[in-house]
Formats: sequence, structure tokens, C-alpha cells
Amino acid sequence: MTRNAMIDEWYPVGIAGQLDAHGRKTALMGEPIEVGRGEDGNAKVTGANGRALPACIRYGHVWSSLGDPQKPLFAIPEADQPGRRLVDVGVVRVRCSPLRAVENFLDIAHFPFVHTDILGAEPHTEVQNYKVEIREDEDEVWATQVKFYQPQAAKSAEGGITTEYMYRVPAPTCSILYKTCPPRPGEWDVITLFVQPLAEDLCDVWPWMALFDDETPMTDLIHFQQTIFVQDRSILENQIPGLLPLDPGMEIPTRADLTSVAYRRWLKRHGYTYGAQLVAQ
Amino acid sequence: MRLSHGFVRGETLSCIYHGWGYAQAGNCLRIPAHPALTPPDTIRVATQPVEDGGGIIWISVGEPAAGPPRFEGLAPLRSMMVEADIAALEAVAGTKADGDLLDYTGNAPTIRLLLAPQGQARTLVHVLVAEGSSQAERIAASRAAEALRRAAEDIAHGGIAR
Ligand SMILES: [Fe+2]
Repeated sequence: MTRNAMIDEWYPVGIAGQLDAHGRKTALMGEPIEVGRGEDGNAKVTGANGRALPACIRYGHVWSSLGDPQKPLFAIPEADQPGRRLVDVGVVRVRCSPLRAVENFLDIAHFPFVHTDILGAEPHTEVQNYKVEIREDEDEVWATQVKFYQPQAAKSAEGGITTEYMYRVPAPTCSILYKTCPPRPGEWDVITLFVQPLAEDLCDVWPWMALFDDETPMTDLIHFQQTIFVQDRSILENQIPGLLPLDPGMEIPTRADLTSVAYRRWLKRHGYTYGAQLVAQ
Repeated sequence: MRLSHGFVRGETLSCIYHGWGYAQAGNCLRIPAHPALTPPDTIRVATQPVEDGGGIIWISVGEPAAGPPRFEGLAPLRSMMVEADIAALEAVAGTKADGDLLDYTGNAPTIRLLLAPQGQARTLVHVLVAEGSSQAERIAASRAAEALRRAAEDIAHGGIAR
């Protein structure tokens, strides 16, 4: 049995602003953990049998690992850019594979059907060609030049616009979306999907945003993202098979799915198989 | 994603996830992400014979020898998903299922449940009531079915907790 490569990765386990001395009970890849604030004021995460787990606070969240992370948490330079509003969206519990949650986040072709009249609308269903690569230096999956017509791309968008997207996958259960920023052309809004794997078929999804938007009330920003993720949940909880297939099987990918194809290939290459299935079905 | 979550427009059944549309013969007609593409004939879904009988839609696996069953004097009320197996439903109803039929008489008029297992611990239940039931009777029957569902799910979850 080879060691699961995902053990040594960082995962979100809670919102930093909600840390308290009592601690919050949750789980990481099947192991019960407790997330709280230690006497030194730092985040303190303990695993089964009270063993201390690695912990850090970044991007509004507490991060931990069951193993021994070989690298610091991935960088999001935009997080420190002045003028951005940082939004802790909260948590959405989804009964699905954590990898499925990320794959769905990378998919734009479902916008007109799942996020109807918000992120997409018929007849604007076409996914134009875009670029996908696995960047070897950073060891990340990137999709760029992704364009899609959106009736209401963001809370700050008025009317339909063609939105440009870039996607980044810097860790097996995390993705960062860069998106056209209506009030500030030339900059990108940052929307992330941080997924906490509770089990192979259960996850807590912690979306987080770093936006140029001084107008929209915080409640509306949170509500907008939660609406989107709850729509995704109804899809994710009905996917068949539940685990993400890493080998070609019954599915027929099209050009629109190239990000997903690269993500699956990258997962397989690294042995990131928690929440995946290797045998085709 | 099951096509049963999808939508029908004209004679086309479309998937709710990406909108791929299928004809009655099962061949794919349309991939909305690539409108200019004519889907190859190899993209198709399995089809089953289907029949509408007594307000219930039936499908058969393979070629059926006869038409679907008729339940004289009964009319469909509602369908619901129960997160429990048939044994749990039987335990709560206090009677055994006869094949895929379970008749249940609680405090309300008798209801007949058509049971369609969905994997290990989930059952799709179609609820029938006496034809010509009043609105009050139908509401009572619906509540009885709900109560049965909750009780069966309690048993199922208790089983997991142990
Ligand atoms: Fe979505």
C-alpha cells in the first residue's frame, strides 16, 4: 500500500475569524480533528489521540494537514493587494467527492443550465476554445482565455457581459478563479474554492473572495456566492459515479472539458486519489 | 447525472447539467457547448420501452411480455425518495411487502406503496390512494406516507449509528 500523497497537503478546516478557545470539532480525510485557538493566540489543530497537527492562517481560513506538508501553502498574491474586499463566504456541506467539487468549479459549460440567468443563459451556451496547461515550474493546472457570456457575472455587474476567466489549481482540493472585474477593467476579481475533504464522499466547501467592489453590501456578496454554490450542490450530490474517475471510461469529454481532463491527469500523476476511482466504470 | 433530473422540450430530453439533448431513439442531438458540432452517432444513451398506464409511467427492462399492472380503484398520489431500504419500510408499516407492493393502513385510509429500490439504502416510493378520495383524505394519506418515511429513515440511521 503506497502512502496517500494527499496526506501531506494543506486543507481548509475553518474560518480564521471564528476561532475560539473552545475549539470546533470537524474531520479531515476520515480523522476527527479539533480546530481552536491556542493559548498563544495562534490556530491550534489536534487530530485523533490529541496529536498536534500543522496549522496556519491564510486567506481568511485555518489550514491544516494530517501529514507533513513539504511546501508552504500556495500563494495568492492578489490577496495582499490593497483595495480588495476579502469575503469569507462561509461553508457549504456537500455529499460528494472533494475532487468532484473542484472539477465542477472548473466547468463553465453548465452555467446556462445550472446557474440559469445568473452565470449563463440560453442561447449563449457556446464554450469557445481556451488554453489549458500544466505549468511544470509551479506544478499547477492553469486554464486561460476562457470566455463566456453571462447575464449577471457578479453582484456588481449590470446586464449581460462576456466575462473572461482564468482558472488555477494549485492543490488537489483548491482552485482559484480569476474573473473580469466590472468596476475595474485591467484587474481580476479572485474567487476561490477551498475544499475540506471530510471523507472520500463528503466535503465542506469554503468559498472565499478578494474583490474590487466597494459598493455591494457584504451580505449581498455572500448571498450571491451561496446561491451559486447551493445550485452546484444539487448537481454534485447526484453525480454518478460518486468518486472522480481518473481513467477514461464511459464519459465523453469535449473541447469544453479540457480543464477537467488536465486536472484529472495532474491528480493521477501525483497519486492524488483520495475521492477518486482508478478503475473505469 | 441521471437524465431523469433533466427536462423535456418538444421531443427532446435534455440533461440538467450541460444540456446535452437526446432524441427518442437515444442518440445525442445537441451539445450546447459546441452548437456547430453534429454529435457523432456513437454518443447515445440506453432506451427502455415506456408505457403510461393508470396515471403511472412504467418502463420495462427488456421486451415486456404483457402490459404494465393495473391497480383497479387506485389512483397515484405522489412519489417520494426514502433514505431507507424496504426492510425498514416493512418494519414501520408492520406488514410484509408483496413483491414491490406494500399496503399500509395507519390512522389514515389505506395507501399502496410501489417500491423501487435505488441501491442499498434508498427506496423510491410511489404512493397510491383510493380513486375518488376527497382532498382531506388525500392530504391525510400524504401525511401518513411522510410519517412512514420519517420512521423508516430513523430506523435506517439508527442502524448506521450502531
Ligand atoms: Fe456551477
